[in-house]
Order: sequence, then C-alpha cells, then structure tokens
Amino acid sequence: MTSWRVTRPGIFAPCLLLLLLPACDGPQSALAPAGREAELLADLFWIMLAGAVVLWLAINGLMFYVTRINVGHMPRRLAEGIIIGGGIVFPVIVLAALLGYGLTLMPLTRVPGDGLRIRVTGEQWWWRVEYWPEGAEAPVVAANEVRLPSGRRTDIELAAHEVIHSFWIPALGGKTDMFPGRDTLMTLEPLTPGVYRGQCAEFCGESHALMAFQAVVLPEEEFADWLEAEAAPARPPSGPLEAAGQEVFLAQGCGACHTVRGTPATGAVGPDLTHVGSRLTIGAGTLPPTAEALANWIAHPGTIKPGVEMPSYDELAPDDLAALAAWLEGLE
Amino acid sequence: MSAISGDPNDIRRMSGREIADARAPEGPYPPTDEMLAEPMDPEVSRAQAERLRAAWKTPQGWRYWSAVNNSEVGLWYVLTAFFFMLCAGLLALAMRVQLAVPDNDVLSADRFNQFFTMHGTAMMFLFAVPLFEAISILILPAFMGARDMPFPRLSAYGFWCFLIGSVFVMGSLLFNAAPKAGWFMYPPLATQDLGIGSDIWLLGLSFIEVASIAAAVELIVGTLKCRPPGMRVNLMPLYAWYVLVVGGMIVFAFPPLIAGDLLFELERSFDWPFFDPERGGDPLLWQHLFWIFGHPEVYIIFLPSIAIAAMIVPTAAQRPIVGYSWIVLSAVGTGFLSFGLWVHHMFTTGLPALSLGFFSAASEAVVIPTGIQIFAFVATLMVGRVTMSLPMLWIAGALAIFTAGGLTGVMVAIASFDFQVHDTYFIVAHLHYTLFGGMVLPVIGGVYYFYPFIRKKQMSERMGRWAFWLIFTGFNITFLPMHLTGLLGMPRRVFTYPTGLGWDWLNMVSSVGAFVIAAGFAVFTWDLLRPKGHQPPPPRNPWRAGTLEWSHNIPEEAWGSRSIPYVDSRYPLWQQEKIVERMDAGRYYLGDAEEGLRETLVTSVIDARPVYVARVTGPAWITHLAAGFTGAAFIIPTFHIYWPAVVAGAFAVACIIYWLWTSTARIPETEKKDVGLGLTLATYVAGPKAVGWWGMWITMLADSTAFAGLVFGVFYYWTSNTAFPPPGADFAEPWLMAGGAVAMVASWAAVLGAREINRRGRTDIARMALVAAPVLAGLGVAGMVAALWLPDLDPTSHVYPAMMWVLVVWTVAHTIAGVVMQCYCLAGTIFGKIDPAHDADLWNTCLFWHFLCLTAIITALVTGLLPRVL
Amino acid sequence: MVHQKGKDWQDGVKSDEAEFAEEADSLWRITLGPLIWALHFVASYGTTAAWCAKVATAFEPVPGLRIGLAVLTVAALAGIVWVGWRAWRQWDFTEDWDYVNKEGENEDRHEFLGHAAFLLAIVSFVGVVYVAMPVLLIESCR
Repeated sequence: MTSWRVTRPGIFAPCLLLLLLPACDGPQSALAPAGREAELLADLFWIMLAGAVVLWLAINGLMFYVTRINVGHMPRRLAEGIIIGGGIVFPVIVLAALLGYGLTLMPLTRVPGDGLRIRVTGEQWWWRVEYWPEGAEAPVVAANEVRLPSGRRTDIELAAHEVIHSFWIPALGGKTDMFPGRDTLMTLEPLTPGVYRGQCAEFCGESHALMAFQAVVLPEEEFADWLEAEAAPARPPSGPLEAAGQEVFLAQGCGACHTVRGTPATGAVGPDLTHVGSRLTIGAGTLPPTAEALANWIAHPGTIKPGVEMPSYDELAPDDLAALAAWLEGLE
Repeated sequence: MSAISGDPNDIRRMSGREIADARAPEGPYPPTDEMLAEPMDPEVSRAQAERLRAAWKTPQGWRYWSAVNNSEVGLWYVLTAFFFMLCAGLLALAMRVQLAVPDNDVLSADRFNQFFTMHGTAMMFLFAVPLFEAISILILPAFMGARDMPFPRLSAYGFWCFLIGSVFVMGSLLFNAAPKAGWFMYPPLATQDLGIGSDIWLLGLSFIEVASIAAAVELIVGTLKCRPPGMRVNLMPLYAWYVLVVGGMIVFAFPPLIAGDLLFELERSFDWPFFDPERGGDPLLWQHLFWIFGHPEVYIIFLPSIAIAAMIVPTAAQRPIVGYSWIVLSAVGTGFLSFGLWVHHMFTTGLPALSLGFFSAASEAVVIPTGIQIFAFVATLMVGRVTMSLPMLWIAGALAIFTAGGLTGVMVAIASFDFQVHDTYFIVAHLHYTLFGGMVLPVIGGVYYFYPFIRKKQMSERMGRWAFWLIFTGFNITFLPMHLTGLLGMPRRVFTYPTGLGWDWLNMVSSVGAFVIAAGFAVFTWDLLRPKGHQPPPPRNPWRAGTLEWSHNIPEEAWGSRSIPYVDSRYPLWQQEKIVERMDAGRYYLGDAEEGLRETLVTSVIDARPVYVARVTGPAWITHLAAGFTGAAFIIPTFHIYWPAVVAGAFAVACIIYWLWTSTARIPETEKKDVGLGLTLATYVAGPKAVGWWGMWITMLADSTAFAGLVFGVFYYWTSNTAFPPPGADFAEPWLMAGGAVAMVASWAAVLGAREINRRGRTDIARMALVAAPVLAGLGVAGMVAALWLPDLDPTSHVYPAMMWVLVVWTVAHTIAGVVMQCYCLAGTIFGKIDPAHDADLWNTCLFWHFLCLTAIITALVTGLLPRVL
Repeated sequence: MVHQKGKDWQDGVKSDEAEFAEEADSLWRITLGPLIWALHFVASYGTTAAWCAKVATAFEPVPGLRIGLAVLTVAALAGIVWVGWRAWRQWDFTEDWDYVNKEGENEDRHEFLGHAAFLLAIVSFVGVVYVAMPVLLIESCR
C-alpha cells in the first residue's frame, strides 16, 4: 500500500538518523508526512522534541546533581537565581517563541481551498463522501474512501449524523471533529500520491475502533479520470452469476438502504455501493474488497462490526450469497 | 472567667454592639515567653488529659462506625479511594490484555467501552479528587494543631455519600450496565445511549460531586478559621495554602459540571432538547461545561500532591523551603490560569483560530507557575543537605516523570500540533505522565512519609524501594512507547486495531509494562495493609520534620493535639524551642475539656487571633441516615422512577434538619470560658465570626457558579444559533415575572428585617416577619412559574423555552430550600433555639437569601426581558 | 457588667473585620493581578466568539476586532503594572532586603502579602502578553 511513497527528505527528518527509521513509517503515521499540513506539523514536532529532550535532561540532571552528587549546602543566592532564571526568565522567553511559532502555523493549516469541495458525513460507523467539483450542481456520491488530487488544496466540509466523529488522515494533516447539526471545515493539500489510512478519532460508540477509511492521493489528471468514472452509474452484471447476484440484492430489499446507481436501488441509509468493487476496503476500512470478505460481511455484519445497523443475512442460501458477493465485487 | 458568663440572660438583654463587645476575647495575647515558660502542675495536667481523652474517645465496637473524628473519617476515606484506584487499575490491566495483540477478542467492544469509561471515571471521581479530600481531612488539622475539622459530621456525611455513590457507580460494571460513552460523556452519543449507563454516570457522579463540594467547603473553612493562634497567612504550612487554592478551585470548577449534569439529565429524562441540534440544542455546550470543570480538575488533582512534595522536600533537605512566597504565588497563579485552558480539550472542534489562540496562549502561560514550583523544590534541595529517604525517592521519581509530562504538555498546548495528536495515544501517554508524576507517585511518597503519623507504625523500607523501582520502570515501559504509538496514528478508545500499521510491537511493550506497574502496586498494597502488630512503635518524629503534625502522640490519642500551641514560625518544631514539650503538658490553649465537650479553637482569617471556642459535633448515626436517603434520592431516578426519589429526598432533608437542630449553633451553658494562658473566649458567635457563616458563604459561591453556568448557556445558545429565540417564539409574561421577582425581594427583606428586629429584642415582630417571608416567597415562585406557564412555553419544543424553564426551575428549587430555612428560624425563635443574642441560624439564612434574591432577579431579567432584546 | 480588655492584648481587640480593614488593600492587590488577566481573557474570548459567530465571514480579516482587543490589552497591561508597582512598594524589598518574611509579626505578614501580589502581577502580566499574541499573529476568524 505504501510502495511508491517517498519519505520527504529535509533538515528535520532525523527519523533517518535514528534507529527509529522503520518506527516512524506507517500508513497512518503523522511522522511520515505526505501533505502540506502534516509536513508543517511534523517539523514542529521534531523541533519541540529536541527542545523537550534537552530541557528534560537539564532539569533532571540538576535534580540528580543536587540530590545525589553534591548533596551538601550550596549558596542560597545561587538557589534563588535558579528559581528566577529557571522558573521565570527562561521559560517566559522560550514559551513565547514557541507560542509565536505555533500561532503562525495555524493560518497556514487553514488556507482556503482552490476548487474541489468534498463533503464527508460521519455515520455510525462509516463515512458518507460527496465530491463537489467546482460549479457542480449535484455531488458524486461515494463512501468509506476519500480520493484527493495531489498538489491541489481541497476543501473538506465535515458533518455528522447522530453522534460526533472526527475526521483524520495523519499523513496528510490534523483532525477536525464532525458534529450533528453543525458543519466544520478543513482543507488539505496532499503532496505525495499514495494510499494512506484515516480513522475516526472521536469516540463514537461501540464500533468506534472499526471506523477507518483509505485516503488515496492521485496525480491531478488521474484524479479527474477517476472522478469521471465514479460519477458514472454502475456497470451492468458481467455474467450470469453477477446477474443473479443483482437479483438477490433487489429481492432482499437491500435497495431500501443502499444505492447502486443504474439499478432501482436508491436507499440512502447505508453506504452508496455503486462502485464498491473499486474500493480498497469494505466495512469502512475493516475488510479487503474480495468476494469472500463481502459474503462474510453480508452474512455476519454484527460479528465483524459490533452494534452495526445492517441486519445479518446469514439465512441466505450459500449460492445466493456467493452470487451477491460476486456481483458486488464486480461493481468497479 | 468573665462577669457575664454566670448568667446567660445577661447577654440577651444587650444591644447588638454590646453583645459583640461582651464576646470579645479578654486576657493577654500573644502569650509572653514567661507565661509559656511557667511549668504546668503535673497533677492538673494529668486530670486535664483524662477529661480530654473522655471527650474525644473514639466509639468502640460496632459503634466505631458512628465516629466522625477526622482521624477515622479521613482514614476510611483514604482507604475507600485507594480501593477504587485498585479497581480502576484492574480495568486498565484488562484493557492492556485486550490491546496486547491486534484483532484480539478477549474483551468484547461493548465491555471494553465500559471498561475504559469506568477506568477514567473511577480514577478521576472515585480516586483522585476524593483522595485529595481524604488526605486533607486526615492530616490538615494536624498541620495546624487543630483538634478536628470545623464540621466533623459534614465530613462523615460526605464520606458516606461518597461510599454509597461510588459503590453504585462501580457496581454497575458487575451487571454489565456501566456507562460506556467515555468519562467525558459527550452528547449526543451519551444522551442517546439506550441503557441506564449514562444515568448511572450522571446521577451517581452528581451525588459524589456534591459530596466533594461539601468537603471542599469544610477544608476551606478549616484552613481559614481553624489555624492555631499566631499562625498568620505568611506562616501557614504550604500544604494549607494548597488546600485553600484547591478548595477554591473545586468551588468554582465543579458547579459548571453540575449545571451540565442537570441539563443532561433533563434531556434524558424529560426530553428537553439542550443537546439536540434538531431543536436548537448544541452538543458543544456540554463540552464547554464539562471542560470548564475538566481542566481545573487536572490541577485540582495535581496541586494537592505537589503540596505533599512541598512538605517532604524541606524535611529531606533539613531546612525551610526556599521561596515560600514563590510557591504561594505559583499555587494561586496556577489556580487562576487553570480556568483559562478548557478549550485546549476542544482544539479540533473547528472553533475560530483566534479563539484557539487564546487558549493555546493560556495553556503555555500556566507552565510558568508550575515551573516556579519545581525550581523552588530544586533550590531548597540545593541549599539543604539532602537525605535520600524513601519518601524523597518517590518525590524525585515523580519529578522525573512529571517534567516529561509537562514538556509534552507544552507541545500539545500548541493548537496546531494538537490537531495531530488530539485523541491519540500520544495524549494517553501525556496525561499519564502528568498524573503519575503529578499525583500517584507523590501521593505514595506521602503515604510512606505520613504512615508513622497515621498508623503509629512504619512501612518497610525494602519493600518501598522495590515498589518504587517496579512502578517507576513499569510506568516508563508502558507509557513512553505510547507517545510513538499515538504519532503513528493510533486513536484512543479503540477496542482493537488491525495489524500492519506499525502499532503491534509498541502495544505489546505497553501491555508488558502494565503488569510491571501492577506488580509494584501489589508490593505497595501488601506493605500498606500487612499486619504490623509486632512492630515496636516508631520514633515520634521519624523524619526530623519541622511542622506541627509531628507533635502527634504515640501511642495514639484521639484528641488531635493535647493543647493548641501558639505559633510564630513556619516550622515550629525546628524554630520554636520546647514547643512539643509544652503542648504535651497542656501549657497552651484548650488543654482541658471541663464540660466534657469536643471543642476547637477558631481564629481570625489573616492573623489567626483567637476568636472563639467552637463546640464541634461528636459521633452520630444521623449522618448515615441522611447519606442513605440522599443516596436514594439520587440513585432511584436512574431507573426513571421519580416519586420514591422525591420522598427519599424529603427524608434526607428531614434528617439533615434534625442533625442541624440538635447539634449546631446550640445555645451554650456558659457564654465565655477560660481557654488557658489567661485568655477568655466566647463559646457562641453569630455572623462572619462563626465558622457556619463561612461555610454557608462558600457553599453559596459554589451554588452561584452553577447558576452562572446556566446563564452562560443562554448566551452560548444565542451565539451558536442563527436565531435565538427562534422566530415566532412566545415570550414570558413580563409583568408576572417582574411581580414574582418583587415578591422574592420582599421575602428577602422580611428575613433580613427579622434578623435585625430580633437583635433589638422584639422577638414577636421578628416571628411575624418570619411568617410573612415564606408566604411572599411562595407568591414569588408562583408568579415566575405562571409567567412561563401561561404563554405555553413548551420546554420539549425547542432549547429556548427549555432554557427559560431550567432557570425558573433552579430558582424554585432554591426557594424551597430558602423557605425551609425561614421556617427553621421561625421554629428556632419559638422553641428557644434563637433569641436576640443567639441568632447564628438567622445570619446564615439571611446569607442564603442574599444569594437567592440575586438569583431570582437575574432569572427574572434573563427570562422576562432578555429574549425580547436578543 | 464590667468587662476589661486585657492590657497585654497588644494591638487591641481585633476581629476579622478589623484585620480585613487593615489588609483590605493588600487582599485586593493579590487578587487584582490575576483578576485583570481573567477579565482580559474572558473579554477576548467572549468578544471573539460573538464577533466570529455574528459579524465576520470565514476567511475575511477582522481588523476591527483585533484593534479593539489590542486596546483592551494595553489597558489590562497598564492596570497590572500599576498593581505590581503598588505591591512592590508594599513588599518594601529595597528597604530591608527581606524576601522571606517568615516572622510572626504584622510587618512580615504585610510584606508577604505585598511580595505575593507582586509576583502574581508578574505572572499575570506574562499571561496577558501571551493571550494577546494570537491577536497579533492571526488575521481572520477561520
């Protein structure tokens, strides 16, 4: 998944120097930045970490010195100097500098976007995603995966249904909470194409742990192609098995909750499945997008994701289940 | 003894001014060196000690549990809090087992969520805050050579309330019905929760919070009014300064949460839509109210433990603290600044950058007083000659851990960095570093330090070092890797995680470390509880400390201090020659209990001059009954049953009235008494001199803060809603509302008039005023309720009418309490509990009504006038 | 009905009221520094919250708000400096070079309160400066 992503070289990539090299990497790591915001914040972290280590050693070294090495009486004037210097003068200056640095970063992480707007709504426990290219009248609806053009700044409008969630792709930037009845806004400028992992960061109920998604950063042209394909209706069943699967889908009433554009299924309770086969995961970052996993999910959603609203279809005949899974897998 | 004391009727014929003069202290003060040097007759001293021992005797057998003395209640309190800490620790271990490997299924999602919710809840509400109060109740009187806390039965009542509430909240885990929406209970998740978990959290903890505020009131009054003569504010032990600051913080921090709890429970029980966005509500208001409580809470936990360090460090250095004023400044400064940090828990909620900036700045500013505090300790250690005793080892370890937590705190206070690490394991690491370093380790150090004082035995040095190194290493193994786990993107509160994200080995290391910590706690717990009967008694002052608690008696005596010393230094045992000897001989004040009553000395706030002798309450069962009924009143509504709860509440009030009537502000058999060293003090005072008046004043500050929280809610909805009140909404009847407020003011005037007229000896007219006052109050609330009722403002329709109603309901509830007090005073004047010279109850009732009158006026303005102009 | 005040009662009979009267100014001074910080903080936060909710639009600069808050900051700092100066005088450090104030005398209690107030003024000053930094560095409500 992380194959063609390049770790950004820079003065503050001591990751490379430390034995932590492999430790800092990861698809959900804030220390392997692939976006503008994440880079700023990773730099900030390394600077603060260096300062913190030095200060910790200084304070505790002093403590060790006075309690273990030089336990005798030391001059009172020196001790008072320590209180004034160490307790007031030094921290006032250092903290002011750090605060200034931190405050100037804030506007940089909140620059307005330059065209594309994505609206993400947190559900229990999945993500409803709508793409609004500039000037669009109706959105392109998808779910559980966010695709972004690299090198462009995208506005991300966040909302929630029922409970609070938090939208977070560590490799691209910080998180922003999602509220029912109140929109929040964030912007992201991904720099390096690749696949990253995002996850809900605000506790949102029983299966909060299983509310993740993939964030796919594509070069701008690829993104445009993808969006066009995503806007299209679902492809017709490619064979008899798939056609049978579609029939099962409609006969079981799945369309009451799920939309598959190009079919009579127009439900809006659950995720849009029009292109579910092209997603990198199913069940909001829980399972791989294979027919086997899909069948497993349809039969036992509550076992995989405790508390999920989708009823289990374990009474489906194995053949029907396999057909259904095959059709869904084919919806690329 | 003075001339007036013979005939109690003398004083009843005097005017107010004369009464004050008559009750003024008489005799030499401060005592001269010659007076103190005069030896006591050993026979007299022995007889005095016998009488004191009899007065303060701890009940035996099963009656032991009726004790109210601070040394018993404090001990039960500490052990209970410690027990819940162990429970919460076991929950943490279970969670670490679940998280040791990816995709684990030792715990189900639901159970894991209950566990982490209860881990946080128990550690905060059942351990950290109660433990501060418990330790303070246990040792504060000794720091000040006092006999007991000023309101011993209130401590006992608070303890029993705490016990009932915490068993209820914790017990819910056994029925798989525990709260599971996080210790922060964010709506709408928590309001929509189908089980009774959220109700258990809200009602159980509200109950405990009320008990906490009661304890805080008592601690503040104890610090302000029960210091030994001569202990001016610049001489107070640092622990007392911290108690004062932390008590003040509790008084202002807990009430907003109680206001939030009220709104929350009204939504859950009656569908008033405070947090429902569909009807104008806003879940963010809860976050504000919760964290206005929640951040000061962190310092409420941290400061008392650092106060323990402030007692241990000078002893370890064998010299007075360097920078006493600096430490006082830092405690007070931290107290203030900690109220400006709450939004740093809400950095990611999408607030304007400017707003975040203010809180980011305040969060950095609070580092400065904290740093001063730590450097003052270092300076003291530099100047002194350090003995690395076992308590000092724990303090040193605590500083090492705390400074790391403080430095990550500096990082997360930068709002933009927090965007990344908020709600991740980085924060889990940060908060455990601050709380272990800032609370757990210093407290354990304190346990080792104070154990000889509390149990008159010693703990094992060897086991203590084992426990330290196990906990210290285990802690770092567990929590240091979590910083990285968080930066690698692992969110908090997840019951499982997939493999392949780089989190596996880090979690495994943390889980192993958790068991090392547990081993350390096992050693500590064994050492704490193991029988030590065979041990010889320890030396009286084993650490060669300089503060008054080490004048304690071995073997134990229940009287606290044989005689209450005159103090004119910060470290009396170092700086005042022969002080312990003289205390033991009964040379100082109140060395006798001639009347066989429990007494303690009340002194003035700033300079601690003797003011009067307070008769404090002794063992009782009424406190248990009152706590039981109070508990029932809070616990029954959990199951959405209301009438039995109201009945239980009424019984609770009846118990409390009985308790107040029979044991507080009783007319003494003698107006003045000789307290030793030639000094004669009054035994009854009313108004600002009395501890009861101070208790009421501080309670009402807390109460008004909760009310302010509700008023803040009104303004908050105005800023968060596009239209508040919504277009077309009805308004309260302005004239009825105004009329109601006027009647309330009249009721206030009546009770105030009753006090003044009674002072002038016209008891009959005072009684008439006290009959009129409840009637006027009844008219007042009737008018206010009608003002909302008539226009049909339906509180379930929108947050605007709900908010209006909640203000009026608040006023009505307080008026009921106010009327009960008025009737109490009326009964007092009829049955001889109140007369022109003994009117403490009237003073306290008036004080309550000052606040109530203001509440009624503000309610009338905010409900009757404000919506029309917004 | 005669009651004699003890002749040795050094400073006469003093009640809480008399004590408070004597130290009223110092007690004010102790709380005034942090109180100015708190008021400045609440005013900054409250005004910003209301302004950003009711007046400003997302990315537009808000010069009016920032100038207002800057003025408020200057006023708050001036107030704290005044409190600090009075407290410095009360502490009276340069006269006796006593910063420990550990004796049980009126003077030590008085100077201790002055010292504490002075130190609190310093912390409050720093607090106000910090809280004003966002106004300097951030242009819009976003």
